[in-house]
Amino acid sequence: MTVTALIADDEPLLREALVRLLAGAWPELEIVAQARNGREAIDQFEAHRPNVCFLDVQMPGKSGVEAAQHIGRRAHLVFVTAFDEYAVQAFAQGALDYLVKPVEPARLAETVLRLQERLRAAQPALDTEALLQQLARALLPNAPQTLRWLRASVGTTVRLISVQDIDFLRAEEKYTQIAWRDDTGEPREAVIRSALKELLPQLDAAQFAQVHRSVVVNLSAISHVTRGANETADIHLKGRQETLPVSRTYLHLFRQM
Amino acid sequence: MPTNGDWAKAPGGPRASAWFSLFYSRTMATTVASVPSSFRRIFAWPRLRFTLIVSASFGFLTGLHSEAALPLDVLRALVLGCGILFIFGWLELWPRRLPRWLPRTVLRLIGIALAIPVVAAFAFGITGGGTGHDYGFLTVVALLFAPWIAIGTILRQRDAFAREQALEFDLQRSEFERRESDARLRLLQAQVEPHFLFNTLANVQALVDSGSPQASKVLTSLIAYLRAAVPRMHSQTTTLETEVELARAYLDLMQMRMPDRLQYAIHLDPAAARLHCPPMTLLTLVENAVRHGIDPSETGGRIDVDIWIRDDRCVMRVKDTGVGLKNVTRGLGTGLSTLRERLKLAFGAHAHFALTEIEPRGVCAEVSIPQREAAS
Repeated sequence: MTVTALIADDEPLLREALVRLLAGAWPELEIVAQARNGREAIDQFEAHRPNVCFLDVQMPGKSGVEAAQHIGRRAHLVFVTAFDEYAVQAFAQGALDYLVKPVEPARLAETVLRLQERLRAAQPALDTEALLQQLARALLPNAPQTLRWLRASVGTTVRLISVQDIDFLRAEEKYTQIAWRDDTGEPREAVIRSALKELLPQLDAAQFAQVHRSVVVNLSAISHVTRGANETADIHLKGRQETLPVSRTYLHLFRQM
Repeated sequence: MPTNGDWAKAPGGPRASAWFSLFYSRTMATTVASVPSSFRRIFAWPRLRFTLIVSASFGFLTGLHSEAALPLDVLRALVLGCGILFIFGWLELWPRRLPRWLPRTVLRLIGIALAIPVVAAFAFGITGGGTGHDYGFLTVVALLFAPWIAIGTILRQRDAFAREQALEFDLQRSEFERRESDARLRLLQAQVEPHFLFNTLANVQALVDSGSPQASKVLTSLIAYLRAAVPRMHSQTTTLETEVELARAYLDLMQMRMPDRLQYAIHLDPAAARLHCPPMTLLTLVENAVRHGIDPSETGGRIDVDIWIRDDRCVMRVKDTGVGLKNVTRGLGTGLSTLRERLKLAFGAHAHFALTEIEPRGVCAEVSIPQREAAS
């Protein structure tokens, strides 16, 4: 029985290099398909059903890990990655087969030997689902983190506003009004299509403070705070005419004495 | 960020609590104030001294008109003054919450007005009584003057509060800025991403192994890139020409790696070639376009780099037709934020930086800096 293989990598030179290296290390292996991204890898896998899949971890669109999740135990998987500490660690711990780019012939020979043994013994492919799920999550680009830029509509254009340039944010129903400074320091306004509630957890708590149900202010934009009658206060901003209300709940942030 | 307003326990880490510790410790002082400490606050020495001096003066003046002995008048006035001070101070702390329709200032003034006849009666009581004329005179004088003095004090207090707070904000801001610049310095140690380096080396090795004549050219590009990108190797100033060469080296490398997904064109106005440019400015824009525009896209796209002079300013524009801003991924911003900071450090408000989305897809990043000849 001929053993068939699929190679997926978005960089053509590296695909060719692996083909060449495999030709030396495993002459009987027949490479039946090559893919440029995760989506193509899945399509090619379904079309050719190879025994072994070499998957680059970082590919545009669907990643190698996502493609592997789709393939499951239907093929022996070998991950290929360029220096990626986290992934390499996970592969090693999960006893997954992996190669590090640039691929060393000796290391490839070991991998080939292991694969050949498994194929000879008709061992099923490793059950990797749990590990892959964990990896896919870790490699996911949208882990919540502190926002640096906000996508906002300014007039008819969409631009990115650095959060450091924001003076304050004010909730307006489903939208959020953003008061910010342009490059020349002029005060400007923009609107963004997210609710303040969703933005709030992503802002740096050391820089932004909620002072009212619908107002979040950049602390470095405050010039001073005046206490009004009755447990209220007004925030005066540097270089802006408008004042912001501080409601009772948040007054303790600014209370004196 | 907590919504219950409990900031000191906020999961903002030590920085957040440091930021608020000033506010918070003060808040604690009022809300948990015990009785003795309230007394200390009400009868704080500067206030007490002021009250004693004013009361004594008034006592002396009323004494000139009264039927009693002068020291007795002064003593009564002192007792009355302390009583008013107590009411004035007490109503500042109590009740802790006031209904919306009753401002604290009004409450304090009413309190003082109501207290004066009573305290005056007490003052006369403990000094062995006096004539109705003396009592009436002292009460009327106190009623005429005490509220004005109280209002003056409240206004002064507010002023001092505003001043102190402005000062406090400035202090905190400068502290904040210092930390910012520390962080910036760390970021400034721009690093060659290992992922990029090893992937590129793998490509070079592939070229060498296959005996491709391209190998040497690619190595030249890699060396040019590393020379500029490795920290401590880049100089403080460069010319736009050098920046363009660096960007070209990087784009060459990336095009070798993804020939089917990346096209690019660079246009440098010869008039701008010798102008000064902070190092890594153009490269950061180009790297960003590749990393967040082209690389995540299956079909790739095109990058157009244009550098020209507009209104005595040097404009660098990098347009890509990649995935656009919607697919903002992890890491976007680190490079650009650092670049923004660096430009601010170098040019203050004279450097402009804008990122906009372009239709149908892609991003346009534009930096403009004052035109300046590079020191040779």
